[in-house]
Amino acid sequence: MLSIRHVSKVFDTKDREVLALHDVNLDIEEGEFISFVGPSGCGKTTLLRIIDGLTEPSEGEVIFNGQVLSGVSREMGFVFQDINLLPWRSVVENVEIGLEARGVEKSERRRQALEALRMVGLEQVADVPPYTLSGGMQQRVGVARALAIRPKVLLMDEPFGHLDNFTRETLQIEVAKLWQQLKTTIIFVTHDVDEAIFLSTRIALFHSNPGRLAKVLEVDLPHPRWEFNVRADERAIAMREYILDYLGVRKDVMV
Amino acid sequence: MSQAELEGQTLPRPRRRKDQEGWWQKHGISLVAVLVFLGLWQLSGLFLNPILLSTPVAVIRDWFQIALNGYLFIGLLEGFREMLIGLFFGVVVGITVGILMGRYQALDRILSPYVNFFNATPLIVIIPLVIIWIGITVNARIFLVFMITLWPMLLNTVSGIKNVPKGYMEVGQAFGFSERELIRKVAIPAAVPYILAGARVAAGLSIIGMIVGEMEISFFGLGMMLSTYGASFQTGHFFAVVLTSSIFGIVNVSILKWIQRRWFPWIAGTAGQNT
Repeated sequence: MLSIRHVSKVFDTKDREVLALHDVNLDIEEGEFISFVGPSGCGKTTLLRIIDGLTEPSEGEVIFNGQVLSGVSREMGFVFQDINLLPWRSVVENVEIGLEARGVEKSERRRQALEALRMVGLEQVADVPPYTLSGGMQQRVGVARALAIRPKVLLMDEPFGHLDNFTRETLQIEVAKLWQQLKTTIIFVTHDVDEAIFLSTRIALFHSNPGRLAKVLEVDLPHPRWEFNVRADERAIAMREYILDYLGVRKDVMV
Repeated sequence: MSQAELEGQTLPRPRRRKDQEGWWQKHGISLVAVLVFLGLWQLSGLFLNPILLSTPVAVIRDWFQIALNGYLFIGLLEGFREMLIGLFFGVVVGITVGILMGRYQALDRILSPYVNFFNATPLIVIIPLVIIWIGITVNARIFLVFMITLWPMLLNTVSGIKNVPKGYMEVGQAFGFSERELIRKVAIPAAVPYILAGARVAAGLSIIGMIVGEMEISFFGLGMMLSTYGASFQTGHFFAVVLTSSIFGIVNVSILKWIQRRWFPWIAGTAGQNT
């Protein structure tokens, strides 16, 4: 459904060119939950932004349902790490943004936005200013904002990176449930290996300098995963060890 | 369920500090200091020639005199009207051009030298030129107010638009806003705190423009009264007019603060937050 073909990205900085992504090729199937995992600077976020059209690739292309993408995609919803809810809009008005840009009429917009808020359990704060919400709730609004446009693909850029452990675990379960319920394709960027194992059907591992796709792993664990202790599962443990070794985390540790 | 109960979140409580501290604890010392100052001023009247400082009691007496015989308010109302017209154009032109300069770099580069030149020039010096251009008329006074209020309005709007958080614009882009929608629905609202700060400066300057115009372009209202009372050594009356213009300034600023609280509560709500 989604094909990434020979995508490279070079960033021009003041004194040099930085190769952020080198020749990435990847096919993503409909309904998949795929995570991009790797150390910072490996280009995983850049690739996600290229898929959405927020960043132009220097070379290569992204093909979505047979069409080469150009410009910001109308069929993908983006969940930012920094949610940046607009403080002069109420929660529901923030969720309406994508619908507004698509010319949906006002009352219909509100109805659909409320529905998206219901999916993340925040219907009751629809008319509150966003800055009165806790970090976890704001992040849920960020998810609702992306869901409101009923995206074919949901792109999530380290969405829980700023949250505390408790909130993060709760939201991971909520995202897993949303994915099962909606059957949307989700592409999820994270540097948290456990998070990736818990959520994904496949994990794409990235190396840095230059950023590149190194390996894609199948996560062979049953769903739904919130019904058993994934972290203590032997297969998951083995997978985590493998990923950390593969990404070279162990080698770099100074003794 | 009330909003405050959700997840134990906290809602902003702007009045809380007041409740804790109480009006007297917070403002008592300022009040006492003002009273001591006024007392000393009154006492000074026993030793000094009243032409030099007058006294608080005399100032209040003279204020009631010019207030009751109508001089003050006739001048004030007309002056206020001119000030508002000048300020209105300063604000509208400042915001409009400011938005364009903030968003379009080429325009910014073309206009910046002139804007900086005028902003750096103490605009009192253009009064003779204004008189040559427009004459000794009401319009000349309005134009002076406009020229004085335009630049802070413009410069603040430009910085407001340039400092829109990048993340806000990115959200707008990612969700499909067009260039016009980005300006109207993201950049302008995000620049409101800067624009209001510019408006506060402009409102203060507009009073200066009004009074200076009334002193230097054509004699009228508060400016005329200040010149006349000063020149004729009526210090009590003079201070009564000064007091009036101060109250005027305070009212101006209060109106702007009220506008911010009423229509832009989010500015206080997000203050100090890293959004």
